[in-house]
Amino acid sequence: MMPGRLGLTPSISDNPLGLSWHDSTWIPILNTSNVMDYFSDRSNPFFDRTCNNEIVKMQRLNPDQLQNMTGLEYVLLHVQEPILYVIRKQHRHGPQPNQITALADYYIIAGIVYQAPDLASVLNSRLLSAVHHMQSSFEEASSFSRYHPSKGYFWDFKSQRNGNDKVKVKEEKPKEEASSLFQRKRVDMLLGELMKKFPLPIPPQPKPAPAVATPKQENENGNNENKDVKPEVKQEKIKPPPDKKPRLN
Amino acid sequence: MDNKLRRYEKIEFLGEGQFATVFKARDIETDNIVAVKKIKIGSRQEAQDGINRTALREIKLLQELHHENLIGLLDAFGHMSNVSLVFDFMDTDLEIIIKENTIILTTANIKSYLLQTLQGLEYLHLNWILHRDLKPNNLLVNSDGILKIGDFGLAKLYGSPSRLMTHQVVTRWYRAPELLFGAKQYGTCIDMWAVGCILGELLLRVPLFPGESDLDQLTKIFGVFGNPTEEIWPGLKTLVDYIEFKPFTPIPLKNIFTAAGDDLLDLLEALLVLNPNKRKTCTQCLQMPFFSNKPAPTLGTKLPLPKSIQKTREAERPSLKRKLLDGVDGGSLSKRLFF
Repeated sequence: MMPGRLGLTPSISDNPLGLSWHDSTWIPILNTSNVMDYFSDRSNPFFDRTCNNEIVKMQRLNPDQLQNMTGLEYVLLHVQEPILYVIRKQHRHGPQPNQITALADYYIIAGIVYQAPDLASVLNSRLLSAVHHMQSSFEEASSFSRYHPSKGYFWDFKSQRNGNDKVKVKEEKPKEEASSLFQRKRVDMLLGELMKKFPLPIPPQPKPAPAVATPKQENENGNNENKDVKPEVKQEKIKPPPDKKPRLN
Repeated sequence: MDNKLRRYEKIEFLGEGQFATVFKARDIETDNIVAVKKIKIGSRQEAQDGINRTALREIKLLQELHHENLIGLLDAFGHMSNVSLVFDFMDTDLEIIIKENTIILTTANIKSYLLQTLQGLEYLHLNWILHRDLKPNNLLVNSDGILKIGDFGLAKLYGSPSRLMTHQVVTRWYRAPELLFGAKQYGTCIDMWAVGCILGELLLRVPLFPGESDLDQLTKIFGVFGNPTEEIWPGLKTLVDYIEFKPFTPIPLKNIFTAAGDDLLDLLEALLVLNPNKRKTCTQCLQMPFFSNKPAPTLGTKLPLPKSIQKTREAERPSLKRKLLDGVDGGSLSKRLFF
């Protein structure tokens, strides 16, 4: 996550969208009939154990009784064996199917549980990272601008060479953090489209901003080795297509 | 006396036990439905001692106790050599509710039952009375969802430091560990343990510690909480019937009560403490967050009722009063007094 985001969104541990959970002993035997049991594992951070499903289980009642209860429950919404299961968390107000309010969806893909994000979070996150990158590029650019009373404003990149070297070292790191090939191609394509629509004015151009952020990896898994709750590190660092990178020293 | 006899109009026979016969009756003065418990005179030898001891305890204590959550003794009258007690009529009890598997006991329902139990018990304890036989079967519920503690056949005044009391009280499954170890001096903590067991039973719908003998009972208790030691329970080894058990590893309560919230688990842990001196009192329990947290306890009239009662409520047919029945024949489990 970008440092800029941490101030705005709750910390990773509070935000369920930044979590995933799995239990590797279950994964090979996962199927439609036991996926709800897998989901109701006590260490699953997405499962609220005071839900109606657990009450029915604890009181040894008939599972059909769920229809007659009101309150929080989980249902298996969609199955695409053997890889994908979607579980819905919902609030039931009455026995009729229209007396249900959906609260959240969780998808289990290849045995790993994630919460499906809502549209607002997706948009927020994307906007925020775009703005963050723009902002850091402006900051970087303005650090190269100089003023002299006789010359007025000018760009000075040479005196900052040392600084640039440092930046380059930093730049190595994010490269290793894999944003998927798919994501990169996709974004490059979109950027390419934009470039075509709005061609860049010809020089003088500042050097593009180096990526400042190194993703913060908080490892908060206090569980044993096969049950892992980990924050998902969303890689949103995107580099402009290399051919468009102006080389100015 | 004669007008008392005529005041209660018999509606139906509810049941017969060892010590008494119970009828459902109508009070023609107030038109209320009541339960009339007619104490049997017993054998000649028993009759020589006078009135039956459990009946005497009930009359003696209940005359002075008035609380919404305690069974009300409305009247007592004698006719010839018979004594009859008139009680509030109660439709059902927690044992029937727990066993009826069409009923769902939500946290709100459980909170309501427990709140009423603790309020009634708090009143008892504040008046220096131990109930000594708390179990789901003795927690009576009427069709308005009001819970009343019933059966004061074993209840007793407590608090006299020199007085020894029998440890053969409380139905085994709800008997506190100190009683099982033969303690003869005890206090309100034995009732609190029973409340803890009842709460567990409301959550699981089966008895929490269904011991088959007194030793098995202790085995079941230590199987959950681990063995007691002198450190956690000073004075343990001085108890008359103390014996060493093979070591058990404790099981966290949240593994047993998988759907219970943390506030509810805290309450359970406050009630089911091996060391009797560490168990919380009614007053302390009522102040725990569980009772002020959401969800609010279910309103009396919204509490679930067994199917048999629901039907009678609609059709105004007489319902069974099973409780008083069990109370008089000594219940399903041993309930004896040794003097």
